Amino acid sequence: MAELTYREAVAEAIAQEMRRDEDVVFLGEDIGAAGGVFKATVGLFKEFGPVRVRDTPISEQAILGAAMGSAMTGLKPIAEIMFSDFLAVCWDIVANEIAKARYMTGGQMSMPLVIRTANGGGSRFGAQHSQSVENWAMMVPGLKVVAPSSPADVKGLLAAAIRDPDPVMFFEQKSLYPIKGFVPDGELVDVLGTAKVLRDGGDVTIVALAAMVPRAVKAAEELSAQHGIEATVVDVRSLVPLDTQTILREVSKTGRLVTVEENPRLCGWGAEIASIVADEIFWDLDGPIMRITTPHIPLPAADELEDATMPSAERIVREIVENID
Amino acid sequence: MATKPKAAAKGRAKPKAAPKRAAKGKAWIANDDIGEETRLALWRSLLEIRHVEQRAYDLFLQNLIKGTSHLALGHEAVAAGFAIAMEKDDWSFCTYRGHHHTLARGASMEGVLGELMGRECGLLQGKGGSMHLTSVEHGAMGSYAIIGAHLPIAMGAAWTSQYKDTGQVSVCFFGDGTTNIGAFHEALNMAAVWKLPVVFVCENNLYMEYTPIKDVTAVHNPAGDRAASYGLPKIVIDGNDADEVYRTAQTAFAKARAGDGPSLIECLTYRHSGHSRADPGDYRPPGELEAWLKKDPVPRYRDRLAEFGIAQDVIDGMDAEVLAQVDEATEVSKASPPPGLDLIDVDVWADGGTSWRN
Amino acid sequence: MDVIMPQLGETVSEGTVSVWHKTIGDAVSTKERLFDVSSDKVEMEVPAPAEGTLLEIRVGAGVTVPVGEVVAIIVREGEVIEVGAGLSEAAEEAAPKAAAAPVREVSVKSANRDANGNPLSPAVRRLVAENSLDPVAIAGSGLNGRLKKKDVLAHLNSGAAVRSALKPAPLDFAGEDTEVIPFNNLRKLTAEHMVRSKATSPHVLQAVEADFARVARARSGVSAAWKKREGFSLTYLPFIAKALCEAVREFPHVNAAIDDENLVVFRRVNLAIAVDLDFDGLVAPVIKDADQMSLQELARAIRDGSERARTNQLKPEDFTGGTYTISNSGVFGTMITAPIINQPQVAILSTDAITKKPVVIETEDGDTIGIRPVGVLAQSFDHRAIDGAYSAAFLNRVRDIIQTKDWAAVLA
Repeated sequence: MAELTYREAVAEAIAQEMRRDEDVVFLGEDIGAAGGVFKATVGLFKEFGPVRVRDTPISEQAILGAAMGSAMTGLKPIAEIMFSDFLAVCWDIVANEIAKARYMTGGQMSMPLVIRTANGGGSRFGAQHSQSVENWAMMVPGLKVVAPSSPADVKGLLAAAIRDPDPVMFFEQKSLYPIKGFVPDGELVDVLGTAKVLRDGGDVTIVALAAMVPRAVKAAEELSAQHGIEATVVDVRSLVPLDTQTILREVSKTGRLVTVEENPRLCGWGAEIASIVADEIFWDLDGPIMRITTPHIPLPAADELEDATMPSAERIVREIVENID
Repeated sequence: MATKPKAAAKGRAKPKAAPKRAAKGKAWIANDDIGEETRLALWRSLLEIRHVEQRAYDLFLQNLIKGTSHLALGHEAVAAGFAIAMEKDDWSFCTYRGHHHTLARGASMEGVLGELMGRECGLLQGKGGSMHLTSVEHGAMGSYAIIGAHLPIAMGAAWTSQYKDTGQVSVCFFGDGTTNIGAFHEALNMAAVWKLPVVFVCENNLYMEYTPIKDVTAVHNPAGDRAASYGLPKIVIDGNDADEVYRTAQTAFAKARAGDGPSLIECLTYRHSGHSRADPGDYRPPGELEAWLKKDPVPRYRDRLAEFGIAQDVIDGMDAEVLAQVDEATEVSKASPPPGLDLIDVDVWADGGTSWRN
Repeated sequence: MDVIMPQLGETVSEGTVSVWHKTIGDAVSTKERLFDVSSDKVEMEVPAPAEGTLLEIRVGAGVTVPVGEVVAIIVREGEVIEVGAGLSEAAEEAAPKAAAAPVREVSVKSANRDANGNPLSPAVRRLVAENSLDPVAIAGSGLNGRLKKKDVLAHLNSGAAVRSALKPAPLDFAGEDTEVIPFNNLRKLTAEHMVRSKATSPHVLQAVEADFARVARARSGVSAAWKKREGFSLTYLPFIAKALCEAVREFPHVNAAIDDENLVVFRRVNLAIAVDLDFDGLVAPVIKDADQMSLQELARAIRDGSERARTNQLKPEDFTGGTYTISNSGVFGTMITAPIINQPQVAILSTDAITKKPVVIETEDGDTIGIRPVGVLAQSFDHRAIDGAYSAAFLNRVRDIIQTKDWAAVLA
C-alpha cells in the first residue's frame, strides 16, 4: 500500500498501462515536457518519450480527431482535454463522431480511446474553467462516463478505462488533485459500471459523485455524531454504465434518497437517478427525494462566492436535518 | 516517375484478358507512365461510379431511396484517380457526398444501393444511411456528415501509420466549403507539424452547398491558396482528368510513405446535379453547367483510352459489363428486405450491446 | 356538482353504496333519497345535495369507497357541464352542453393522510394497503407526527399475532358438515373494529360487585307511574349511567383518548350505550353531555337511542363524539363480561345481570346473611392511559354512588 495523491494516481495508471501495452499512446496540450498544467502526468514524457507522449497545439478538435482516427486504426490513445469546459470546443468530435461511429456503421468501427479531462470548480478559476460537465457526456449514447473520488479509484478506473474497448470519458475533479489516499501496490484494474457503498446507515441514503463524495462522507459523520441520523453513502463512480442495482438496493433500505451533485441544477446526473428511483422503487420511498446541487448559474470566481454555491458538507448536514425526519 | 500500376480494386470482376494493340495500329504514345492495365482499372472505376450514381438518381425519383442523397455525378475522376493509386491497406475518409469514394475502394454495389434504400444488405445494415457509407474491410473508413470533422480523424489514422511505421497512407476527401471551417485548419496544422502521412484532397466544385465558394472565401483557391499557411506547396489540378489525378496521387503518396509529411491537393471539378437530390441547382449561372459538361470526366476518359490505342469494343464492352453489374446489384438490393427491428438495439458498444445500466 | 361519500362517523374512513334509488337522467332533490350507504354500524339514506338531474354514477351498488370520494355527478338546474370533461358517453349525452365551464377540483382523499393530516408516503401506503390498516390509528414519529414506514412496521410487529389470527391459513370448510354464512357489512365492520381495538389497546379487566338495594327500592317506588307516564320501563341502566357520570368528574382520565404519547381528556361526557340489534349486530349510539342530564333525562335518552337503533333511524351525529361506553350485557343474564374498548376511547364498562344473592351484612351485633340484588360492574381499560389503582378507585366510586346515593330523592 502506498499513499498517493489523486494526481499521482493519474500518472501511475497511465504509466501502468503504457508499460503493459505498446499501442497505448497519450496526447494533449502541455502534457509531456511540462507534466500537465495540473501536474497530473509528471514522469510520463521522461519514461516513454516524445513518440508516445505527444504535446499538441491548442487544437481540441484535432486532438480528439487524432484520438478517434488512431483508435479506429489500431492504437489505444489517451487524449487530454485540459479543462472539461473546453469539451464544448470539440463537442462535435465527442458527441457526433466518436459516440456514433460504431452504431452508424453497423458495428464496423472500433474506438478503444480515453478522453481524460480536469472537471469542476473550487479553484477560483471563474465560470469558463470550473464547470462540472460529466452530465453532458452522460446524455450522449455511445460514451462511457467515469468520475472517481479517490486516488485508488483514479488508478483502478483509469486503467480499466484504458483497457475498455469503447470510448470512455474520464472526469478528474481538479479540486481533488491534491487529496491523498491509500492505493494498493502492484497492478490495479477496477471495473467500470460499479458503485461503492462507503458507509452504512438506516435513516437516509446519500448518493454522490467525485468531489461531492468526501463532502457526503463528512456530512454523514456529523449527522451521526451531532444529530443521531445514520446515513448510507454511495459513491456512484461510473455514470455510464450505471450501477443501478446498488443504488436501488441502498435507497430501498432507508426509503430516503438525497443526491449531492456538483453539476448546475438542471439535468444534473442526479436527476436521472431520482427518476429511476421514483420509477422502479416508488413503493419503497418513505418521503420526497431531495437533490442538493449547485444552483443553476455559471460559477462565480471569488472564494466565498464559489464556496457558497458548491454543495458543502455543512449544507448537506443542514438540508438533511431540516428535511429528513 | 514510373511506379507499379495499381491492380484492379478487390471485389471486382477481373478485366478480360489484356487487349491487343489497337487494330488501327497506332503506336503507343511515348511516356505512358500509367499503362494500359491501370487505365482500364481507372475506366472501370469511372464507369462503376457513373452508373451507380445515375441509378441512385433514378431510384430516388422512383421513391425507393428516401431521405437525402448527395450524388457525385461529375466527381468520378477524383475518386477513381486516388483509389486506383491507393494500396489496399491505405485508409480513405470522405464526406456525406461519398458514394463514389466508397465504391472506388471496392465496396459492393448492392452494399451501396442497399444502404441508400435502407435495406438489410446495405453496407451499414440500414443503420447509417447515404451520408455514412463505410466499409472498413476495404479501408473506406467512413463518410462524415459534419463538415470538417473527418480531417482530424484522417490525421489520426495517419498517426497510427507513423507510430507503427507501416507505410500506410490516410487520404481525406472534402469539399471547397470545408476549407473555411475550424477543424480544417487544426488538422492541416497538426498534420504538418507532426509530418503525418495524410493526403488532404479538396474537391472544389465551385459551390459550397448553394453559395459560390468565391463569395465566402478570402482567397481564390480555397485549398491551394491556404497550403502555404502550413508550409505546404500549392497544388491545384484538373479534377476531371483521371490520369492527372492519378499521377498527383502517386506523388503525394510517395512523399507520405517516405515520411515527408502531408499534402494538400485541390481538384477542380463540378457537380452535374444539385447539392443534394432535393436541389435542382437553379443558383448556377446559365451556361456554366453546359460548359462543364463538355469536360465530363467519363466521356473524356473514353476518348483518352482511344487515344492510347485501346479497342473500342473493349471500351464499350466494359461499359456494358458494368451497367449489367449495376442492374444486377439493383435487383439484389431491391429484393433485400428492410432491416429487422432487432438491429435497433445492437452495436453501441464493442460487445454488441446498447445497455447503459445493470 | 359532485355527490360525495358522506362522513359517517369519526373513525369511519369509508362507506359502501348499498343501493341507488335513481338512474341517470332522473330528477333528483334534497327531499328524496338518492342512494343508501352502509358504513360502521349504520345504514343511511342520502338525499341529493341539490335540486337537479342525475348525470353520472361513478360508484356502483356494493362498492366501498373512502369518505369524500365522488360517487355521482348531478347537474343543478341552470348549470352547464364542460364537454369532454371525462364523463362517460351516457353522461355526455345527458349533459346540457356549453362552451366553457369551470374545471372541477378533485377532492382530497382523507384515506391517504395520517392522524395529523400529513400525506402518506408511498412506502406507508403500500404497507397500509397490504395489511388493511387504518393509518389514522397508528402513531407517527416523523416531523409533525408524520407516519413513517418504520412506525407502521413497528405497529405491525406488535400486532403480529393478531394479524395472523385475522388471516389464518385458508381452510376448506365447505361440505355437508358445515353451513357457511358470509359476513354482512355490519359484521365485517364489527370484526375489523374489534380486532383493531385489541391490537391497539392493552386491555385490562377489573370488576366490582355492587349492591343495588337502594336503587331497587327507589325504582320500585316509581315503577308503575313511570311506565304509565313514559311508556317504557325504568331499568337499572340509567342509575348506573348516572353514577358513572358523577364518578367521572372525580376520575376524568377514564373519559379520554390517546393521541401519540398524549392522554386527551374529554371535558364532555358523551356516553355511548351499546344496543344489540336482535342478534344481528351491535351499535352504540351516543348520548351527548350525559353528565348534564337528570336521571330521568338519561333514562329517556337511553330509551330513545335504543329505539332508533332498532328501527334504523340513527343519524351520523349519533355515532360521533363518544367519550365512554357502557355495554349492558346484564339484560342477557350474564355474570361478568370483558368488553372490548370502543376506539378511540380508553375504557368501557360492562353492566352484568343484577340477581338476588346472599350477602354478608355487618351489624353492631355481628355479621349476618341477607339477600340483596347484586350485580358486577366490569371495566376494560386501556393500560396505556391509566393504571389498575386508578381504574379500581373509579370503579369503587361508581359502586359507592350506586350503593349510597339517595335515589329516592333523585326520582322524586
